[in-house]
Amino acid sequence: MFACIYGRTFSGDREDSARQLVDLAFTFSPLVEQTSADTVVLDVAGQELLFGSLLNSGQQARSKPDADWAWNIAHEITRRSTQLGFKISVSIAASPDVAIHAARSHQRLSVITAGEELIALGELPLKLLDYSLAGIDAKKAEEIRETLELWGVRTFGEFARLPIAGITQRLGQEGAQLQKLAQGKSERHLHLFQPPIGFEQTLELEHPVAELDSLSFIFSRLLNQLCANLNSQAMATNELCLYLKLEDKTEYERAITLPVPMRNPKTFLRLLLMEVESKPPPAAIVALTIKAEPVKPRELQTGLFIPLAPEPEKLELTLARLAKLVGPGNVGSIEVLDTHRPDAFRLNKFRLSHRTGKNVGRKSRRAVETTPVPAIGFRIFRPPWRAEVKTLNERPTRINSYGTAYAIRGQVICASGPWRTSGDWWRTDVWARDEWDVAVSSSGSQESEVLCRIYRDLISEEWFVAGVYD
Amino acid sequence: MTAALAKIEIESALARRFGPAFQRREKPPVEVLPTGVSEIDLFMSGVPRGAITEIVGAVSSGRTSLLMSFLAVATGQEETCALVDCNDTFDLRSANTAQVNLDRVLWVRCNHRLERAFKATDLLLQSGGFGLVVLNLADVTAKCARRVVSSWWFRFRRALENTPTALIVITPIASVRSCARLVLAVSKETEVWREAAAFRNNAKLSHDRESAITHAKHLSLVTESTVKKQTESLLPHSRLFRGMCVRVNQERPTAWIGGPVRFSTHVYI
Repeated sequence: MFACIYGRTFSGDREDSARQLVDLAFTFSPLVEQTSADTVVLDVAGQELLFGSLLNSGQQARSKPDADWAWNIAHEITRRSTQLGFKISVSIAASPDVAIHAARSHQRLSVITAGEELIALGELPLKLLDYSLAGIDAKKAEEIRETLELWGVRTFGEFARLPIAGITQRLGQEGAQLQKLAQGKSERHLHLFQPPIGFEQTLELEHPVAELDSLSFIFSRLLNQLCANLNSQAMATNELCLYLKLEDKTEYERAITLPVPMRNPKTFLRLLLMEVESKPPPAAIVALTIKAEPVKPRELQTGLFIPLAPEPEKLELTLARLAKLVGPGNVGSIEVLDTHRPDAFRLNKFRLSHRTGKNVGRKSRRAVETTPVPAIGFRIFRPPWRAEVKTLNERPTRINSYGTAYAIRGQVICASGPWRTSGDWWRTDVWARDEWDVAVSSSGSQESEVLCRIYRDLISEEWFVAGVYD
Repeated sequence: MTAALAKIEIESALARRFGPAFQRREKPPVEVLPTGVSEIDLFMSGVPRGAITEIVGAVSSGRTSLLMSFLAVATGQEETCALVDCNDTFDLRSANTAQVNLDRVLWVRCNHRLERAFKATDLLLQSGGFGLVVLNLADVTAKCARRVVSSWWFRFRRALENTPTALIVITPIASVRSCARLVLAVSKETEVWREAAAFRNNAKLSHDRESAITHAKHLSLVTESTVKKQTESLLPHSRLFRGMCVRVNQERPTAWIGGPVRFSTHVYI
């Protein structure tokens, strides 16, 4: 059974009234169609248990007892609409189109049981026939209307009683569909109204929350709902924002930018918890909002010969955990800066590079085999070790330096240099140095010789060990 | 002998009922990651995936050169690599010179905290998907390396099983013990100095050096005349240390005595 609510007079804003009409329909059924701004159809099948005995002592005696609950629903809808200040017509019928036509006939309440459609609609003027319900365009509908007027057909009943073969022959399939509409025999599904889904979840707490464990349950609930909303719209998110209202009337905001669109609530939960744990809010939380920016989900076509890479969700979690372990400034991918300043680099957020699979396999191995002699490695000391260097004729002859793990001290066996570098003279952190590559017969190391690079800072006139060749 | 015969007899009797249980399963061939050093790849194709490889050596023995070569090959093959740097000694310019694609390397700096390094490695291995993970303990003292509890290595070995990840651990002394499938011992043989401007400080030492150099054909000699010339003219220095010759020995599983593998420096200014 379907109920149609037709708003006879809308007061104030029309859009607002239409929205209120839909809201009214949703209080009775989740299956609602907004046919037009003033017409709403809802599926009320199976609501006998809810409304069966509500107004059984009703004002009107019914011939069919199964229509009683329908009358009860119609009365209840009218009652609630009156509370909202609407003047409506309600009609309940077995077909949504019959209910719509009956409601628009300006009867306040009507219940049309199956088989009585033609009796109820027969006297309605043909101008009330809604052509759009049969999916007929306006131009064709106007043509049919003119033809029917020429034939002298004025009501639903007259049109319904015309022979179907003649209608089809003269008016085509559209005419036949319209006749079914007039007969009340049309069948269709409701075009369900989808309320706009918000990708924002808010919760106000009764008591302030100060512990992370308690907060995790709240996050979990909100994120599950948020991800369900994203899932229902086949969307994902690449940015998650957290807004907290704190007990001391301040606000706290955190944003997590994800490398790829995701919609896994467990991943989000861990990321949010780690983010809050790393920078905890200064006071207890009284309200929180989580907002997701909807984007299209990731589409990835992997190849057979492309090497495996970490899953983006797992990688993001791993990076967050590593940042928590060693500090956010100590994890990432390296970018060498375009300067001559020694050891100038920047750490960026690590992102998975695009993989083509072209360099994988036999071809690349052959290329590897023909690679020239590999380059020597260098281990740089951060910060450089301070050193005591004895010189003879401005050349290092003996070195004495202590690091965290071992010492480099002993006689310089072989040396080359100096190699003078300087730069950034226009800045306060100007640098200038004389570098030497030296082989030290080190007594502090297991190896008899240590190959290292030392330099004399020309500004402070001090010696340092920059690192070792290894 | 009798026991062996009885075993065969029992197996043959039960073979019909439990056939596959008595068949010896052949191990699948071990996947390897090429090292990029042709001399090493000729002997063992590369380092095994899904296992721990340990590179042992003292300071200036060539461990980092080997590591750069591994990283260059792995990143060249579009593998995602991670470097857990315990003492924060990774040099970017030498990595660039070695043609390491730094975009594919996740660098984790542990600021001289050994425990952090192990925890970070564990996180990376548990995460999965990395082609190469390097745990650089090269500057850790031998005392600290000995104190590392074995459970870490067992944990790593377990996490690596049946994965395409190769874990390389660089240590000053052998620490991984039985958990390492491959152990490479690296030692320096000789170094190569540019003839033009290198000089010696001690006659006796220079004599030793020259005698060592004569055994290696590819080395440049440092002679008295060179020193004199350099002293007189004060030639401009241009990264005069050219390279060194290292010896790589496979200590585990077999005692393969490798020939010297030469690494050379590149000029970068």
